[in-house]
Amino acid sequence: MKRGNLARAIRAFPWSGKLGLALVLFWITIALVGRLIAPYPSGAFVSYEVFAGASGKFWFGSDFLGRDVLSRLLVGAQFTVGLSAVAVTIAVALGTGFALTAAVGPRWLDELLSRAMDTLISIPSKIFALVLVAAFGSSILLLTLIVSITYVPGNFRIARSLAVGLARLDYVEVARARGEGRPYIALVEILPNMIRPLFADIGLRFVFIVLLLSGLSFLGLGLQPPDADLGSLVRENVNGLGEGALAILVPALAIASLTVGVNLLIDAATQGKVQ
Amino acid sequence: MSAANRRSLWRGAGRLIVKRVGLALVTLLLVSAVIFTISGLLPGDAAQEVLGRGATPEQIAALRHEMGLDRPAPVRYAEWLADIVRGDPGQSLVANKPVADIISERLPNTLTLAALATLVSVPFAFLIGIASAVSRGRKLDRALNIATLSMVALPEFLVATIAVLVFAVELLWLPSITIVPKNPTFAEYVRAYAMPVMVLAVGVVAQLSRMIRAAIITELDRPYVEMALLKGVRPLRLIFRHVLPNAVGPIVNAMALSLSYLFGGAIIVETIFNYPGLASLMVNAVTSRDMPLLQACAMIFCAAYLLLVLIADTIAILANPRLRQA
Amino acid sequence: MVDLISTHVSRRTLLGGLAAGLVVNGVGIGTALGQPRVGGRIRVASTSASMADTLDPAKGGTATDYIRHYMLYSGLTQFDGRLRGRPGLAERIETQDNIVWNIRLRRGVHFHNGKPLTVDDVIFSLMRHRDPAAGSMVKAVADQFASAKRTGPLDLQLRLNGPNPDLPAILAVSHFLIVENGRRDFGRANGTGPYSCSEFSPGIRTIVRRNPNYWKPGRPYLEEIELIAIPDEISRVNALLSGDVQMVNAVGPSSVKRVRATSTHSIMEIPSGLFTDLIMRRDNPVTANPDFVLAMKYLQDRELIKRALFRGFATIANDHPISPVDPNFNPDIPQRPFDPDRAKFLLKRSGLLGVRLPVYAAPAANASIDMGSVLQEHAARIGLKLAVNRMPSDGYWATHWMKHPMTFGNNNQRPTTDMMFSLFFQSKALSNESGWNNPRFDRLLLEARNTTDAVLRKQIYGEMQWIVHQYGGLAIPAFISLLDGYDRRLKGLFPIPLGGFMGYNFAEYAWWDA
Repeated sequence: MKRGNLARAIRAFPWSGKLGLALVLFWITIALVGRLIAPYPSGAFVSYEVFAGASGKFWFGSDFLGRDVLSRLLVGAQFTVGLSAVAVTIAVALGTGFALTAAVGPRWLDELLSRAMDTLISIPSKIFALVLVAAFGSSILLLTLIVSITYVPGNFRIARSLAVGLARLDYVEVARARGEGRPYIALVEILPNMIRPLFADIGLRFVFIVLLLSGLSFLGLGLQPPDADLGSLVRENVNGLGEGALAILVPALAIASLTVGVNLLIDAATQGKVQ
Repeated sequence: MSAANRRSLWRGAGRLIVKRVGLALVTLLLVSAVIFTISGLLPGDAAQEVLGRGATPEQIAALRHEMGLDRPAPVRYAEWLADIVRGDPGQSLVANKPVADIISERLPNTLTLAALATLVSVPFAFLIGIASAVSRGRKLDRALNIATLSMVALPEFLVATIAVLVFAVELLWLPSITIVPKNPTFAEYVRAYAMPVMVLAVGVVAQLSRMIRAAIITELDRPYVEMALLKGVRPLRLIFRHVLPNAVGPIVNAMALSLSYLFGGAIIVETIFNYPGLASLMVNAVTSRDMPLLQACAMIFCAAYLLLVLIADTIAILANPRLRQA
Repeated sequence: MVDLISTHVSRRTLLGGLAAGLVVNGVGIGTALGQPRVGGRIRVASTSASMADTLDPAKGGTATDYIRHYMLYSGLTQFDGRLRGRPGLAERIETQDNIVWNIRLRRGVHFHNGKPLTVDDVIFSLMRHRDPAAGSMVKAVADQFASAKRTGPLDLQLRLNGPNPDLPAILAVSHFLIVENGRRDFGRANGTGPYSCSEFSPGIRTIVRRNPNYWKPGRPYLEEIELIAIPDEISRVNALLSGDVQMVNAVGPSSVKRVRATSTHSIMEIPSGLFTDLIMRRDNPVTANPDFVLAMKYLQDRELIKRALFRGFATIANDHPISPVDPNFNPDIPQRPFDPDRAKFLLKRSGLLGVRLPVYAAPAANASIDMGSVLQEHAARIGLKLAVNRMPSDGYWATHWMKHPMTFGNNNQRPTTDMMFSLFFQSKALSNESGWNNPRFDRLLLEARNTTDAVLRKQIYGEMQWIVHQYGGLAIPAFISLLDGYDRRLKGLFPIPLGGFMGYNFAEYAWWDA
């Protein structure tokens, strides 16, 4: 029954939604099996030539050190997709959770959460990351934490604004008058009605996280070598841009297709609910 | 709207502003404490950074003493706090001049860049957001959707690098770095700022227009819209008179976030275009461990953000009476 | 007049024709390539700018500082293309024993504010470095200045703590440029240099204007120079190619092709003694093990590093710090090859094949992250697990460099062989990177200073290079060439291997041909 619903919903997607779904599934698959199907170790110097073009041995050519671009891409996708997915989940769970708490909770709690979020958000995220990485050294755990913490307040503000608006609506007042508890009001009365704008926000936030990660690699704060996320691949090969090297074009296209795919899917999914 | 109603509306906004200014001070205090604490965790200090790696321990000790870094951290924080309350952000540890002087050199640059980027992006964002909301699901909406998505799909540094390669290196139309001459003509001004503003605007337009679209669509699904349409209200009038005022809360909120990003998040644009703004100054303060300068930058970013949010909330309240008690 | 500098120098072995004949007593090559003309405004971009930018030569810490200081101030001596100290503000520098030096100043030199240059200015400028409160970057070097006294209206006598035949070259270093007597506040610059300061904004720009009263008649040539910094390499090269700046330093090896492809711009390659080294500390049982250290040296894929990291713009090095640029380079030490099998054998013999060690690298140490990646990959193939920890550049020197068993360091070309050895390899040196202690090496260092015969000194330095190559705790895979990019209309440039921008000295020699 449930599966039938899903299939029907997907069939009802516009072509853009189907494309988005295909892209997302593609990248999830790559993230899961990429490391296994990579033809070479991602750190190995396999090509004598740097920024080589496509060849039978190296499908996407070689990078600035003569490593296989395809292998590095397959491994890099895992970091980007995995890290961003985990981070966006943490960010949205915390942000929306706090927002609902603030909307239905006592005033002082709302104030407290709002001040804490203001404090966090008003420190520019890349500089915040710079300080933390300088202090604690870069690691996957720290990067995930930095990126999720960075996007909690943004999600909180939008979710809180939605939730507070909904909390004043008549039907919520009615539920309150019925004597429903705060968790019930938050989760049953308010949350379902903010899903759609929230989903749009999640999609964008995922994109932002992917981009923030690459921005951090630009500033030299990304993963530890030889690991590299897609953004680092773009950054470390940016010198090949002038000569149109595949080493930079391929990871750039990978980022673009991933972020666009996620958003197309979410657009389609949120619109599907209305019909 | 009756006069009494309007009066209570303004009173609500006034109360909010007074309360918010108070809370803003609390937030600023929190930010300064957070910055001071994490910067205390940074390896090395200003004396070591200034003297470089050839310095003897005695030299470092002497400079530390001169900079006052040999006193306990809480004492330094308390002194800084006492000064800042009196409006004096102190002396830069490495630049040998007052922090206020340094900031007053850089702040106008950041304000100019942010203002120009806002001026360019907000109208576009509204145009795209409204156009795609009213044509929801149709070709125009999908096209705009793909366009805005592609605009945010690439890392900022890549967009900026490509723009420089095309417009500065190949075509020689625009300068690759932002240097504004002393008394610029309008054309020089436009040339200098064109690329950084474009790169910043790309991200902001995309983000903002999508939020605007989402907020309007949420409103469009409400029963009153259908009623109004049945009554024969023209769609454009409906959007501007009824839908936008109700959707204004999330929209101005999104705007506040985007604009505060233009303020403190311009670090990549500042780096690539070599623009002497506040974000790169703050990075500089971090790397040279110049605590008073770092704190001053953080205070400015925080205050700017709080101000933007306050404006957003005030507008939201004035536009949506239901929020007045908030 | 034959002064002691040139006799001293003529006894040195000349570096194979690189700059031979290009410089005659400080006169540039401009005449050979067309007549230099006065005029032109250019903008040049260096690599770093910060709020710590300074007008005080003693505190200079970055290339941008050195360039600024050489524009505004003059030294007693000046480097030529072979890093010899040529007469500058000093007309003569003479010594009998390399301890007591008699210096005669040039007549009729004036500061920018019109004040004439006096012996007191020079004595102050030299001796102020010894005061810890001055915050001088070269305090360790200046500590060998025992005393300085006035011996005539234009004469002074500088007495050293011990013999040092390299004094003329040392005095050409930017930190020892001459400032006004008693000057402590460097909010404004007042020097005797080829340009005077018209704007100085730390972290943003320096604008200098031609000094019409410069003590070298007819010089300098450019009307105005704006010095900025563009830290991002790609942006720096783009700014050059788009015509926004006319000269840049530190062009990345992979950008060279792009610059050379244009008809308007060119690259000057300057072979230098700059190197990035893997430091293995003696105070850790693993990295103190001679077999382990030797294994790491055999694991250096020097060819790959030269080819991939530097695109050929490097010279393969042999685990000692003296490059072929240095006249005292010893060419007879056999080159250590890349030999993973031998490395594996050595690691097995030492029983350290299974250890897991972190290696610390940072962008601050040129190419160290990529060198770390190369080493990590080759080590993994023979079963040794190294983890490369990339650290942010800020704080790296203070908190990581030499503080872990394995870190990367980075050393610039030094003006003299003695400086390189005494700053980084003497057992008591502050920056004795590996923390080694070789009594014979220390003895030879002092012996070389006491030797007036250049051929003998070269022999001593040669043996010292062999000792470092054999027993030192550093793996030095390559010497990195400096790459400057410039607009072809900028003439009069020649390489001085001390650093980019003609050893930071271009402003005096460059002219604009338009």
